[in-house]
Amino acid sequence: MTRRGAAVVGLGLTEMSVRPGGEATQLAVAAVCAALADAGLARADVDGLLVGSSQGVRPDRVGVALARQAGFGDLRVLEHVEIKGATTVAMVEHAARAVCAGAARAVVCVFADAPLRERGTAGSTYARSGGNTGVRGLERACGVLGTVPTYALLAARWLHVTGGTPDDLCAVAVSARAWAMDNPAAVQRAPLDAEAYRASPVIAAPLRRLDCARPVNGAAAVVVTADPGIGLARRVQVLGSGSVHPVRRRRAGAESWFGGGRRAVEDALVSAGVRHCDVDVLELYDPFTVVTLHLLEEYGFCQPGHAGPLAREGGIGPAGRLPTNTGGGQLSGFYLQGMTPLVEAVVQLREEGAGRQVPGARTALVGGIGGRVDHHACLVLAAA
Amino acid sequence: MPTRADWLLSEELAPSTGGQLAPLYAAAAQGRLALPFCGRCGLPLELEQQVCDGCEDRRVVWRATAARGAVHAVTVVHRPEPGLVLAAEPYVVADVELDGGHRLVLTSVRPLAHPPAIGDPVAIAFRQLGGVAVPAFDPIPPDPHPEAPR
Repeated sequence: MTRRGAAVVGLGLTEMSVRPGGEATQLAVAAVCAALADAGLARADVDGLLVGSSQGVRPDRVGVALARQAGFGDLRVLEHVEIKGATTVAMVEHAARAVCAGAARAVVCVFADAPLRERGTAGSTYARSGGNTGVRGLERACGVLGTVPTYALLAARWLHVTGGTPDDLCAVAVSARAWAMDNPAAVQRAPLDAEAYRASPVIAAPLRRLDCARPVNGAAAVVVTADPGIGLARRVQVLGSGSVHPVRRRRAGAESWFGGGRRAVEDALVSAGVRHCDVDVLELYDPFTVVTLHLLEEYGFCQPGHAGPLAREGGIGPAGRLPTNTGGGQLSGFYLQGMTPLVEAVVQLREEGAGRQVPGARTALVGGIGGRVDHHACLVLAAA
Repeated sequence: MPTRADWLLSEELAPSTGGQLAPLYAAAAQGRLALPFCGRCGLPLELEQQVCDGCEDRRVVWRATAARGAVHAVTVVHRPEPGLVLAAEPYVVADVELDGGHRLVLTSVRPLAHPPAIGDPVAIAFRQLGGVAVPAFDPIPPDPHPEAPR
C-alpha cells in the first residue's frame, strides 16, 4: 500500500546489553525518550503509540500500559501489535497508515525485550517457555526446546533442497560480522573468519552458536508522521509496504517452511514504485544465518539456489553487490526482532552509518518474518 | 505404578493429555498412532486444525494412521537445557512425513548413535514421559538383505 507522505522522523536506541539488567518497560521508556529527542518532539505532540514485545506470556512483557508509564497524555492511536517477529515492521506500516489517514499526527513505535536474566541464559529463557499443551507441548515433550531446534530443522532442509553446504551458513555469519565491526551498537564486533566460525560449538546441527542471533536486553523506537513540520533529522520516507501470511499446510509432499513470502516484497515494491534492482540496501530479519539465505531467494533478490554462492562470493558483505544486513543484523549486531533491520535501514538512509555506510544508499528494503516464517512484513524506505 | 524415566527429558516436560490433542494421547497410551482427518473428505489435518482447508467441513475425526513415514528434516541437538534434558549425549529431532499424509516433529524412541538422513524411512513408536505415551520415531535400518526365515 502506498504511503506517500509518511516518514520516519525520529530514531531512539538504548544500549544493547548482553548482560542481565533493565526491565523491558524501562528500556522501552528510554528508547521512546531518545526517539522523541531525535525528532524534537514533546509528548504533547504525540497522539499515537504502537507497542511491540517479545512473544509468550511473560510478566515483564511491554503492553499498552506503556502509554502511562512513558508519560504520555491522551492518545488517539494505542495498540499492542502482535504478529510474532513480523510485529515491528508491521507496526511501521500501521503507523504510516494512521498518519496518512489522519487518524494520528505523530505515532511512536517501540519494541523492547529483556530475555537476559540474573539466573540462566537467554537460551534458557526461551527453552523454558512454551508450555505443555497443544502442538507446542508435544514438540517440547520431544526435545524441541526454544527456537533453535526448529530452525535447525529448517536449515537442514534448506541445505538439502538447495544442495548447499554449511559453508553457505558460514559465509552469512562472516559477512554479518564484517558489517558489525563498524557498527558501534553491535554486540559482536571482533573479527570473524571461517576458521573461527567452525570453532563455534554446534547448538543443533547444522546450526552453530555463531549461526544464531545474539539476544540482548534493549529497546528501539521510531517516530512516524506525515506532517512535514515535524522532525529535525533527515527524513526517511515510508514509500511502500506489504505483508503476507502464508498458511503452508504441513503435509507430506509439501515444504514445511519455504514459500509464500514473495507477495509481501512485491506489494511493497509496487506500492513504492521501485524494482528489486533499485534497492541499495537490504535489511532482513536474520535470527539464524539460514534465514538470510532463505529470504534472499524467497524475496526474489537472487535466483533459487544462488543465495549460498552469492554469500560465499562476498556478495552480501561490505563491497558486495547486494549490501545486506549492513549493521551486522541480528546475528552480530543485536537481536531486537524487526527493529534490527528497521533501525539499520533508517541509519543508512540518513547517511549516519559512518564506517559501514553504503555510499549512495537511497532506497532500502526492510523485511521482517515471524513464527516459523509464517508471517512476512516488508517496507520500502527511501531517503527524502 | 512407578513409571520408567524417559531416556531424554525431565518429567516436567510431560505434555498435558487434555485439550485438542487428547485423542492422540489416548490412542498413544494403547500403543496406537491416531491423528486428525477431515470427517467429510478425509484430508489429513494439522493437529490443531478445526476446519478442513480442502472442503471447509468442521468435522474432525481422529483415527488410526500408518505408524510409518520418512524423514523430511533432521537435526542433532547438542545444547542440553540444564534440568530439562537428562541425556548426556546429543539427541536427534526429526520432522517426519507420515505415510498417511501428516507431519510430526519427534525425537527418537531411544538414543541414536547416528541420525537418519532426509528421506530415510522411520517407524513410529512411543516413549514414556512422566507417565504419558509420546510418539517417537524409530529408524528402519536400510537392510538390502531380507531377514533369514525364523
